[in-house]
Amino acid sequence: MNSSKKKGSEILLAGARTIRTYPPLLMIVVLFIVFSILFPDRFLTPMNLSSILGQFVTLILFALGPSMVVTTGSLDLSYVGVWMLGGILVWHFTPLLGVAAILIIPLLGLVTGIIIGVIQVKARVPSFILTLSVSAGYAGLTSVLSGGYPRVVRGYEFLTARLIPYVPTALLWTIPLIIVAVFIMRSTKVGAYFYAIGSNEEGARLAGINVDRYKILAFTMSGLLTGIGSIIQFQHLGGSVPLTLNMNTLIQPLTAIVFGGTLLTGGSGGPDRTIIGALLFAVLYRGLYISLINPEILQLLIGLVLVLSIVIASRGLKGVTIT
Amino acid sequence: MKDNVPIIELKNVSKTFGGVVRALDSVSIAIYKNEVVGVVGENGAGKSTLMKILAGVFPPDSGEWYYTGQKLTFPKNPKEAVERGVAIVYQEKGVVPALKVYQYLFLGHEDKYSEFFRLKTNEMKKYADEMLKEFHIDCDIENFMYELSPSTQKMIEIAKAILSLRLEYGSDNTASVVILDEPTAPLTVEERQDLFNYILKMKKATSFVLVSHIMHEVLEFTDRVYVLRDGKLVAHYNLSEDKITENDLFKAIVGKEFVEELHATQTGRNVGDEVVLVAKNLTKKGSYYDVSFELRKGECIGIFGPAGSGKSEIIKTIAGILHFDKGVLAVKGEEAKSGELPHVRLTKGVGYFCGRTEEQLFFNWSVRKNISIVNMEKILRKPLPVINFNTEKQVTEKIMQKFRIKTPSVDTDCQSLSGGNKQKLSVGRWFERRPDILLLEDPTIGIDVGAREDIYEAVLEMKNEGVSMVLVSDDPKEYSTLCDKIIFMKSGRVEKVLNALEFKEAIVT
Repeated sequence: MNSSKKKGSEILLAGARTIRTYPPLLMIVVLFIVFSILFPDRFLTPMNLSSILGQFVTLILFALGPSMVVTTGSLDLSYVGVWMLGGILVWHFTPLLGVAAILIIPLLGLVTGIIIGVIQVKARVPSFILTLSVSAGYAGLTSVLSGGYPRVVRGYEFLTARLIPYVPTALLWTIPLIIVAVFIMRSTKVGAYFYAIGSNEEGARLAGINVDRYKILAFTMSGLLTGIGSIIQFQHLGGSVPLTLNMNTLIQPLTAIVFGGTLLTGGSGGPDRTIIGALLFAVLYRGLYISLINPEILQLLIGLVLVLSIVIASRGLKGVTIT
Repeated sequence: MKDNVPIIELKNVSKTFGGVVRALDSVSIAIYKNEVVGVVGENGAGKSTLMKILAGVFPPDSGEWYYTGQKLTFPKNPKEAVERGVAIVYQEKGVVPALKVYQYLFLGHEDKYSEFFRLKTNEMKKYADEMLKEFHIDCDIENFMYELSPSTQKMIEIAKAILSLRLEYGSDNTASVVILDEPTAPLTVEERQDLFNYILKMKKATSFVLVSHIMHEVLEFTDRVYVLRDGKLVAHYNLSEDKITENDLFKAIVGKEFVEELHATQTGRNVGDEVVLVAKNLTKKGSYYDVSFELRKGECIGIFGPAGSGKSEIIKTIAGILHFDKGVLAVKGEEAKSGELPHVRLTKGVGYFCGRTEEQLFFNWSVRKNISIVNMEKILRKPLPVINFNTEKQVTEKIMQKFRIKTPSVDTDCQSLSGGNKQKLSVGRWFERRPDILLLEDPTIGIDVGAREDIYEAVLEMKNEGVSMVLVSDDPKEYSTLCDKIIFMKSGRVEKVLNALEFKEAIVT
């Protein structure tokens, strides 16, 4: 009796500690309960839960790479561009290369990352504008290459063929990517150096870190991760190539990063927090979605929540340290 | 001390933090009209807590506040403290560089000088001009703050404190107190002298409480000194009556003897023949010209001179932060080119340490991460670039013990450490890494004597084990403690080279 009581309190303590490190977890639980009570017949359905997972995959695949860049104090918004241009290139080259054409996307991501990194380091331009411009430029190129029609690429459906009912197969592909990203950031020299650069660039330089090289590496790894992710993303989102840059696709992964508690100024956070941020965003989004409010109002709400979360993420909540 | 009634008297003030740490234990102090009162003690002795109570940042748990003999409650916020005649100039608050002098002086008091949202700029300028004249500050009200020297900036900060007292508390009342929290920390030796001359002049307008780590400053420029240790008042000297030396004061502060003197006798020992660093006719236009020297294994060379003599630029050039225009620099027989960055120099064995910890440390990180980032090669699971967290913890704990860094655990936020502990952490990181050449710039700036001794001990240990060093500092004593050879710089050129003994004689006379 006594020991079980002790065990119980230990579990509670461990839970409290986890919530202290990852406060958004608590928000997920709260939102989940609130939505379940408000919409008992719509929220807790297998269909909706499956949609939440699907949305989560979309967000995390885009946000994973950039969340590594954000720890160095820069931003990478090139993911939408890589995904769009990669898609249309695959459409062009599939007749030529067959299934191997899909590898064009990670290659594109890698090259894009290197180019962005080198420009950012050498020209010292704000990464936000730079990567946004790259996305816009790639979107334009996609439009040109597609000849003005949305293109559907067939032949890769096997990538996302359903294996487990209600669980998006893309999620299964995503898990190893997440593990690799978290491992790199938490347990390797590269990760430690990324955080160092974001926390205090001058200090990192004085500690003997080749700051420029690691900044380029951050963009390169981000680009590569986005590229690999886009293979799955591409099929996950139906295999068709959009022709215009969609603001939502651009903003929502960024929101997921901020939701997770990663400071946009760098030095803290990272992919592990982004997982939670993406899940939180997915739950919130789906919850509001099934509430049947006007889609335009939904947009407004998401915008407001993003602003709020940026404020909280940059100031920190009382009693919560962001590391 | 013309009046026998103190302006402000605190009686039996106690303050406990978090129910456990006793920051102040029944401390009583009094401040009379027109005097400078020194408050000294190690970091954590309770100085800051006492000053914050005086300035109204927080009230104490118990105690009494007397104002010219009248009992009052403690001020609840800084504004209330100002209304009662106490203003504070913080060590690190800093000025607003983008403002003009008169704008900065009235910053926060614009309400008193505006009508219908329009600032009465002319009146502000007139008053500001009068104040600069009254306080003999050598600058123009139209100057931007960033154009002024650090000492002038500090003077303006003090003038601003006095101005706020006059505006909020009564224009002619000299029964007021300005607290100066380590005002000289960012200043050079000459600038310090200027600032103190100014403070002595200002004594007729207000009283000062001076918090400082620099003993001779306190002895020279204050009328009375309170010594705090572990939250208790351990000594009180009236300097016009008591004849006390720096050593006496030091003993009162830490309760033990100087270690510095012991080290001074060690200079010149263990210097090898191998030359590890050669500078030949190094020139950086506008900073230094034709600087040549050779650094041997286990030797420490000091570069000494006033601010602007080029000493700081030289050490930064060796570190790879700045670059030279002409000349040759060679590290261990290998030429080091001008454009090399710090990380390249580090692979050649040149480490740089600066006492300004905000440039060096990662404040939002734990102590453990701050140490391991410099010692990455030691804690990796070779050949993989994967961190071994156990080794990381061992390395961290070793350094924390060695340097007596006081923290609850290795995972404590670096931010929450005291200034002295931050500095020890910052040096300690290099202790494990052991570069062949360690560059020290102001290694003990703004920290207390106890922490300073710990750092000297560790630095000398490294030196005895064959690490070569270059030192740049503002404290002559530091040179005589650490260096074997001292290069005198003046306006960017080498004036003379002295050995440690000659240097001691030179600075005494």
